[in-house]
Amino acid sequence: MSEPLPRRVAVTGIGVVAPNGNGTDAFWKSTEAGISVLDRITREGCAHLPLRVAGEVRDFAAESAVEERYLVQTDRFTHFALAAADRALDDAGLGRAYTEAAPFSVGVVTAAGSGGGEFGQRELQQLWGKGSRFVGPYQSIAWFYAASTGQISIRRGFKGPCGVVASDEAGGLDALAHAKRAVCRGTDAVVAGSTEAPLAPYSMVCQLGYPELSTETDPARAYRPFTEAACGFVPAEGGAMLVVEGERSARERGVEVRAWLAGHAATFTGAGRWEQSRDGLAHAIRGALAEADCAPEEIDVVFADALGVPDADRAEALAIADALGGHGRRVPVTAPKTGIGRGYGAAPVLDVAAAVLALQHGVIPPTPNVFDICHDLDLVTERARAAEPRTALVLSRGLMGSNSALVLRHGATKIP
Amino acid sequence: MSDTITVEELAELMKKAAGVTVAPEQLKQKYDSGFDTLGVDSLGLLGIVGELENRYGTPMPPDAERSKTPRVFLDQVNSALLAGA
Repeated sequence: MSEPLPRRVAVTGIGVVAPNGNGTDAFWKSTEAGISVLDRITREGCAHLPLRVAGEVRDFAAESAVEERYLVQTDRFTHFALAAADRALDDAGLGRAYTEAAPFSVGVVTAAGSGGGEFGQRELQQLWGKGSRFVGPYQSIAWFYAASTGQISIRRGFKGPCGVVASDEAGGLDALAHAKRAVCRGTDAVVAGSTEAPLAPYSMVCQLGYPELSTETDPARAYRPFTEAACGFVPAEGGAMLVVEGERSARERGVEVRAWLAGHAATFTGAGRWEQSRDGLAHAIRGALAEADCAPEEIDVVFADALGVPDADRAEALAIADALGGHGRRVPVTAPKTGIGRGYGAAPVLDVAAAVLALQHGVIPPTPNVFDICHDLDLVTERARAAEPRTALVLSRGLMGSNSALVLRHGATKIP
Repeated sequence: MSDTITVEELAELMKKAAGVTVAPEQLKQKYDSGFDTLGVDSLGLLGIVGELENRYGTPMPPDAERSKTPRVFLDQVNSALLAGA
């Protein structure tokens, strides 16, 4: 109780289930190589829908990753979360023996956008096809957005502070900030992140209402932000979970600080108001820099939101210039999500995973499928760029109006 | 389908509704064990009751879903089936 509360909060573990890699190493290899895995959607019941291209997770065997009693009561988005959480905890060296001895020292925060649409659709089909007596009891817990937080906590016995953030795509960054605040209030570690599974008929129909969605059928042309031909975004499933941990706890356990979560800020400018998102995003960047005590020139790489709609792309490019000044036009910018898909709340968490790996490997991954851009940005395209980034800025905007920014510092950064 | 619910059917229901795999022989040995120790929580038991009601077309007693052990559960549901037959 008399220990000082932590001032610095780290990422000590990463777990990924992504369309371009089932596991962190596979994810980084594909991301660094700039491989695009966008493809025609193969899910049953979806072929007649206008959304044709997405990033699917095709090599994930839920039955190998999750016990059956959890599988029956959860949707695919939670299967991803349970698997990614296990991997992040393994990566951080937080085994069951440790966490079972101190259950209140670990919490869980996830961000959710599309929830358990596939599970919900199945139960609703029972309701309208056969009657209410044929709806199973797990419908009450499987499809709502907090399911992943709850099940990760239950399965691993984590009794620390838990929560769920629902602020669309930007929520992925906000969940990490929420986790950081919990750590600063005394929790040793928080499993934080987001996984989504929006590729089932009901979920896809929900997305068809977004004017920003790309209905282009050629995977190489469907999602090309910052270009003249930008025609929207395509979704992805999967995501990432991180272990967010206080400095003291990480040092005591002798684990590597993969990166520092140095600063975050969030603003709101309204649904689909892309022109206005310029100010909102610039404001969020300034707030994150301030919390990180970071000057604009210190940013070595920007992981962009990259919505892929001309107004939104323009607003983002201008926001970067507004907030980072002249440096904004020179700093390397990248958006690996053009090779993966833009996985709603999971997208910025995958960006954070890629950013941490970029800091550790000294390499900036490229933006697949994008070649000639029409904005004043140094977008890294075609191949990865060798660099020694020490500080990364990750940006994310929600379709419904949230704008968030997160600053990461290299793990070896000393306290000033 | 027989007109009483056997331990075999209970094992089958536990797998289908709650994702818990236990061989009928093992389940017989755990007749008086708590459902929670077998890995079946309250929602799981509710699912088993719902499935039985749909299979046999007869309502189960309200206490069935609150049964603590397989023995109590089977006694309850088999009494209901006998009464409804």
